[in-house]
Amino acid sequence: MNGPVQSRQRILGRICTATQAVAAPAGHLDEAYVAVARTYVRKGKLTRETCLELLIERLREYDAEVVVASPDELPAAIADQLATTGKRVFAAPAGLPKQWLAPGFDWKIDHQLSSADIELTEGVVTAASCAVADSGTIVLHHSPAEGRRVISLLPDWHLCIVRASQVVETLPEYFDRFPKAPALITWISGPSATADIEMTRIKGVHGPRFLHVIIVRDEGTPPIQRALTSAVLAR
Amino acid sequence: MSTVILDPKHAPPFRDAVLPVLRNPMLRKNVAHATQVIQSKRAKLLAEKADWQELRAAASAIRTHVIENLGAYLEQFEERCTAAGGVVHWASNADEARAIILDLLRQENATEAIKIKTMTSAEIQLNPYLEKAGVKAHETDLAEIILQLGKEEPSHIVVPALHINRSQVREIFSRTMHLKDLSDDPKALTAAARHYLREKFLRVPTAISGANFLIAETGSVAIVESEGNGRMCLTLPRTMITIVGVEKVLPRFQDLEVMLQILARSATGERMNPYTSLWTGVTQGDGPQRFHVVLLDNERTSILARPKERQTLRCIRCAACMNHCPVYRQTGGHAYGSCYPGPIGAILTPQLMRMEHAQTLPFASSLCGACFEVCPVKIDIPAVLLDLRADVVKIERKQMKRAFDLMYVGLRVANALFSRPWIFHTTQWFGRIGLGVFTDKDGWIKWLPSIGGRWTQNRDLRGLPKQTFHEWWAERAKGTK
Amino acid sequence: MRASLFIACYNDTLFPETGRAVTRLLERLGVEVDFHPGQTCCGQMHANSGFRAEAFSQAKRLVRLYERDETVVVPGSSCVAMMREQYPGIFQEMGSESQRQELAEFLPKVYELSEFLIDRLQVEDVGAYFPHRVTYHASCHGLRGLYLGDRPFRLLSKVRGIDFVPLENIDRCCGFGGTFSVKNAEISQAMLTVKLHDILSTKAEFCTALDNSCLMHLGGAMHRQYAAMRTIHMAEILASTEDCPAEALA
Repeated sequence: MNGPVQSRQRILGRICTATQAVAAPAGHLDEAYVAVARTYVRKGKLTRETCLELLIERLREYDAEVVVASPDELPAAIADQLATTGKRVFAAPAGLPKQWLAPGFDWKIDHQLSSADIELTEGVVTAASCAVADSGTIVLHHSPAEGRRVISLLPDWHLCIVRASQVVETLPEYFDRFPKAPALITWISGPSATADIEMTRIKGVHGPRFLHVIIVRDEGTPPIQRALTSAVLAR
Repeated sequence: MSTVILDPKHAPPFRDAVLPVLRNPMLRKNVAHATQVIQSKRAKLLAEKADWQELRAAASAIRTHVIENLGAYLEQFEERCTAAGGVVHWASNADEARAIILDLLRQENATEAIKIKTMTSAEIQLNPYLEKAGVKAHETDLAEIILQLGKEEPSHIVVPALHINRSQVREIFSRTMHLKDLSDDPKALTAAARHYLREKFLRVPTAISGANFLIAETGSVAIVESEGNGRMCLTLPRTMITIVGVEKVLPRFQDLEVMLQILARSATGERMNPYTSLWTGVTQGDGPQRFHVVLLDNERTSILARPKERQTLRCIRCAACMNHCPVYRQTGGHAYGSCYPGPIGAILTPQLMRMEHAQTLPFASSLCGACFEVCPVKIDIPAVLLDLRADVVKIERKQMKRAFDLMYVGLRVANALFSRPWIFHTTQWFGRIGLGVFTDKDGWIKWLPSIGGRWTQNRDLRGLPKQTFHEWWAERAKGTK
Repeated sequence: MRASLFIACYNDTLFPETGRAVTRLLERLGVEVDFHPGQTCCGQMHANSGFRAEAFSQAKRLVRLYERDETVVVPGSSCVAMMREQYPGIFQEMGSESQRQELAEFLPKVYELSEFLIDRLQVEDVGAYFPHRVTYHASCHGLRGLYLGDRPFRLLSKVRGIDFVPLENIDRCCGFGGTFSVKNAEISQAMLTVKLHDILSTKAEFCTALDNSCLMHLGGAMHRQYAAMRTIHMAEILASTEDCPAEALA
């Protein structure tokens, strides 16, 4: 059997022989990469207002609860959401803003909580890094305010705070905003689901079964109307 | 329950393998239903996606660029991943890959591992190998648990248990999870699986995964899933071992903007799948602190060396081809005798076998082209099928197989008959007389012997008319009518 | 205008009435039709079975045969697809530079029948009369190989008296696939059963297409099952008039 070094050499050697007629010459790889034509839509065409409405509509299609609040209303909106659950024990990332820790609940701040401890919580509140309206996707980069990955995975209920200024329309716009990839990313587009049994869609297998989102109207965001139906959004 | 073993080295020829399937109405109903559901959902989404063809073009171009520069990108991935705390291993073939993985597990003193679904591990037949060595690999994907507990084999690469219906799942779960009073409602079955797996997620310290994409620029791994079992396996354990084919790399992080848009739409008919996770090496305090990537060749470099076949490696395992294949729709996956079924399986499996096995798979197609039409990375599957058919014929000629195979001989003879008009016309004349023997009074043939019988076993054939077209033309030219 | 007919080996042998209909139709539209008696086969059967060398020997004969013609018309989408999709690769692999040059000059001359009518003659109403209930099956080669698109529908829509019924799952393969229908006879039959269900549901009298290979397979099953439907090549519908109805109606 080949040793580790031999296998590496063997594989790379075979690749080299196989592709010598087509590979970019040494030092010209970036040129060849940039030459790849991209004619798909990168930037969205919707107004800010319609974009936010689209995000809300997509999230609601996933049965996520969505409410909108101004920055001043946010702490109360959070308290409100937590109260509706009837639950008491909530996890929070170590860097979650203190004002978001609504009083009257048993907060478990994640200073390297054990999985067993997280299992005992009934929900979690996190921030987000971005949201993509087109697909109703919330993006977590697991910064201190978003929390370690486990904290938004084990609890059954997840409240995510998304600022309106964090919302983009298309997925390419997300990549424009974050050209440098963070080390950890979770893209969430609805609660977990499976269709493995007779193609019957069942929501909530592992991961939080309930997703709530508060969209915070940052400065300059126009008021959001009732969410539009997709039929109205002619592209 | 079926006793199919998906091993291309021992699988029966496709024509034989389909027979038990064709006689299984429940399986055919399940496959038709599953493929129809995904087809319809996908079609609806594509109608609203104005730049779908542009995305396909870009996806195809990006994947082609990667494959043509595979060495450079793999080295870049290795460097970045290692710098971020991962360990990169290279496996020339299935044997090496399995040995590397077992070795890593032994280093952890692992007797168990939790797995995220990966067809690559099925390709190298990892689970039985580990079991023999005393390591139990627990599948955590719902379909994969159903298959593992029911001792079944996958029949589709995205929805592997689509051939199994709810009452069969109920039976499997009741028996193996020791559950009385389990209903066959998919909600209840899913809840049972959730409960069954929870303790494993929280307890087992070693995980094995595949990867949907590797990002060369950052040394990252991306996993695309729906259920959340992936997130569990890549977050909770102490050690992660990822096995992935060398062709799965993308140049840059930004390339995900194309791939993520086309993958879910093609695979499950959704704008985006519920969870996509990306991690880079090891992050202190978050997730596995030991991370290994096993890069698998296993004949991919052989495919790479053939300019016309190379496009096979663009595949992102979305299964759109099999969802739209009229052959697969009637047979499901097991008939292909491989963990890669359907159109992609028909071109990938024989090539992974160095064309020594699965030689009937390139012929398991009517060349309708539906697969090529829907492939998000534009693999011209019919063209590759035709190439592989020529390969098989070349091999068989060398081996002098088929010297007495009627179809084979018939084709050689037919070529001679077409080579000169007078031979062709004489053959038609003889054919008219010869087949006339089998022609009924109504001018139709209902039975033919030998190879002709494969036509007449289910169709009539109209008898040869009294005059060929060219005879009619010649007569007309002479002025007689 | 002149056009040279490539009838296709199976039409010549099994469906000469299609050739007669094409001739009648084109002459009615003012086209002078030529026919080279030396034509045999395009090589598709061999190419699809992996016998490339044999396919090439037939292909190069065919290309040479039409050297002096300006236009070649083929009433069979699979033959045209073969020429456009496979000939270049086969000539690249096995042909000489001059043979590739011949091919490069040959391919632009070739028209499938509906392409010739719509694109070259620029006609949709060919003066046809066919007062029957008809459904149309889109052969895979025509649909995905030649991108015939709406050409067949445009032609059929102008046929006087026709009662056109759309076919559900029109783009699903009938299961013929050439030698596939024999090599994998059982799966071919399974696909045929499903396709036939859709076709028979239209309650049409005739199922038409632009390729007799599909129609041979579908029609053979209809005949075996005593189904209340027959198959007919579209050329025969388009050639049919009050004075000279399609031979199939006799």
